[in-house]
Amino acid sequence: MMLVSFAIPGPLREFSGNQTSVRIEVLSGANLLEGLQALFTAYPGLRDRILTESGQLRQHVNVFIGKEDIRYTGGLTTPLPANAEITIVPAISGG
Amino acid sequence: MTADLIGQTLGHYKILAKLGEGGMGVVYRARDEVLHRDVALKLLAPGAIDKVGRDHLLREAQTASALSHPNICTIYQVGQSESDFYVVMELIEGKSLSDLITSTGLSMETVTRYGAQIADALSHAADRGIAHRDLKGSNVMVTADGRVKVLDFGLATRIEREEISELTLSYEALESKLVGTLPYMAPEILRGQKGDHLSDLWALGILLYEAAAGRLPFTGKTGFEVSSAVLREPPPPLPPAVPHGLAAVIQRCLMKERVERYQRASEVRAALEAVQGAVLQTRHPSEETRGPRTIVLRGMEHLAMKNRDVLLMVGTNKGAFLLRSSRDRHKWDVAGPYFHGQQVHAIAYDGRNGRHRLWVSTSSVLWGTFLRSSDDFGRIWTNPLEASIRFPADTGAALRNVWQISLGRADEPDTLFCGVEPAALFESRDAGESWTLARTLYDHPHRPRWLPSNAGLFLHTIIPDPSTKSRMYVAISAGGVYRTEDSGATWQARNTGVRVVFLPEKYPEFGQCVHKIVLHPSRPERMFLQNHWGVYRSDNRGDSWQDIARGLPSDFGFGMVMHPHDPDSVYIVPVESDEFRCTPDGRLRVYRTRNAGGSWEALERGLPQKGAYETILRDAFTSDTLDPAGIYFGTRSGKLFASRDEGKSWRKILEGLPQIMCVKVAIIEMDGLPSTKSPSKPRSAQPARSSALRKASPRGKRR
Repeated sequence: MMLVSFAIPGPLREFSGNQTSVRIEVLSGANLLEGLQALFTAYPGLRDRILTESGQLRQHVNVFIGKEDIRYTGGLTTPLPANAEITIVPAISGG
Repeated sequence: MTADLIGQTLGHYKILAKLGEGGMGVVYRARDEVLHRDVALKLLAPGAIDKVGRDHLLREAQTASALSHPNICTIYQVGQSESDFYVVMELIEGKSLSDLITSTGLSMETVTRYGAQIADALSHAADRGIAHRDLKGSNVMVTADGRVKVLDFGLATRIEREEISELTLSYEALESKLVGTLPYMAPEILRGQKGDHLSDLWALGILLYEAAAGRLPFTGKTGFEVSSAVLREPPPPLPPAVPHGLAAVIQRCLMKERVERYQRASEVRAALEAVQGAVLQTRHPSEETRGPRTIVLRGMEHLAMKNRDVLLMVGTNKGAFLLRSSRDRHKWDVAGPYFHGQQVHAIAYDGRNGRHRLWVSTSSVLWGTFLRSSDDFGRIWTNPLEASIRFPADTGAALRNVWQISLGRADEPDTLFCGVEPAALFESRDAGESWTLARTLYDHPHRPRWLPSNAGLFLHTIIPDPSTKSRMYVAISAGGVYRTEDSGATWQARNTGVRVVFLPEKYPEFGQCVHKIVLHPSRPERMFLQNHWGVYRSDNRGDSWQDIARGLPSDFGFGMVMHPHDPDSVYIVPVESDEFRCTPDGRLRVYRTRNAGGSWEALERGLPQKGAYETILRDAFTSDTLDPAGIYFGTRSGKLFASRDEGKSWRKILEGLPQIMCVKVAIIEMDGLPSTKSPSKPRSAQPARSSALRKASPRGKRR
């Protein structure tokens, strides 16, 4: 097992018990999707706000592992290193 | 003896009306002339009990009158007047649990919520040495706001051993009260013992079973069969949808041996509360997860709704605003924005079945679309953990937006519909707790050839036919009008005569970009349609359509409103063209026909007639049901206009809002709310100003 941390953006903290960052235990070698699933088990309100019901990352939600945007590292199947710091951030959007 | 009592006085209670009748007597609504409040007065039938029984009952009722608990109907007085013996108690407006339980049972969340309240009432009474001894569905009332009230604590007459044996042998012949009671009787009572708090827990188990399964556990054709099942048989298995935790609580309440049951009602309550938490976490598709409740504060003052007020609901692309007015519709209080920064494409008010529930679809570009509700006019909103509207996995589709929230017919008070993007219809049969995709429409062979419009491919209008239950219409942009005649088993395109400008074939079977359809309940065969170019009428339920645009400055437009009382009157707001979607010539004019499209008149009094390049989106246009009817619309530029004289004159009641996506209106009928004071004093009883609560004054002068 290994620990990873997720930084939770302000609008979603209603669903993370108001924590800005949560630490989650995942299997060693888990990928981002497995890490997210562990996060959603602990904080079920986050799932439908980060993924669509068909399992895609929402269009304007960006996820970084360390400083890397996962859209360029293999998306949801990007492997997680131990102690990974995962940041969920809303994209810049207007309208 | 019953009818002639109306209008008479008993003690200081004036009998107003009969509420119901049971084995023990008649219940009346009565007026307490001293305290000036309405009460329920139960008058015992003269032969209901003998002198000994009466004295005993009097003592018990006196003891029970000491109970004060939010889930117990308060007994105010036990009285005797000449030959009459009566009990005066709290008047409860609501429905009995037995009336609420349908053949499919209640939702698990509801079962545990009601069960915990009943257990709390029993616990409170048991702590004071009082057993109910006649707990059953008809003795449990549920008020409009979901609070449980247990009636008749300690008022049950003792059923003696002889009566039990008589009861079990000739069930059919007995008074209805005993028949209603028998299925709830614990084994020990059937064996002739006196009922106590443990037999109350058995009855609670029966009630929970009935509420969860929609049927009683022990039944039979005769009283003998019923009591035989109670004494010997295990309860039949509960439906698979009942969570294990709840089934275990019910099972333990229904142990034949008293020592094996829970020993205290407080234990049942605690167990139910634990189950309640688990039910809320269950990922069962039919159990919509409520999640945290968002309390919208932001220093906002909310609307103080009064009975018979007009509630105007405005959805914008940056949040929702709520406005209230008395029925004169002269001055409006404004609260908002709710859902700061989120798009609100759809709002609805559901006042059926004692509810007063607002539904809103909120859509964040970032975090997705969620249905949220409030039962207190916006103070508290649900914020579900999981999206309740979701496409099944095999469709591969994902919800983008909810464009319409529609109520089912009045006789289906728990039915709701949502029209969504990508184009689909969702239906709820449990007042919005769970939603199902209308699969036959989603799998319609036409779907691959429907074309997305400017705003996407979406279903925006839903009309259950008011005269025929199996018939319903939907409108899709751009797919056209579809009708079902068989409750959704099949759907037929109904677009004959409606022109398409953007396809080589001008009159195809489907593919029309219909913007809105309306019909009047008194003429359900006749419909009106605002198309992407074209205004039409059908006199045969959409089978064919005739152009009725003659006399309009443009036949392009979005919204269309049916007059609430006149089936020949329809309102539209023409815009110039597809390219220039603004009111023609910079003049904001509503057009009305009063002869079903034979001719049109411009309504412009009070509307800007210079430099007004406005657009009214398809759902930002509505009417109330008052007489004279109020007509309302919001513009893309954030102005809100209203007419309280059917369109003759208009006022701008608010401006400076974000782009207005939808405008809906409801007349609030709610007994629990105070009535608005006389319309001649609109300023009375208005809450203080704040930054979020503004007074919108009429600014109807022509510029």
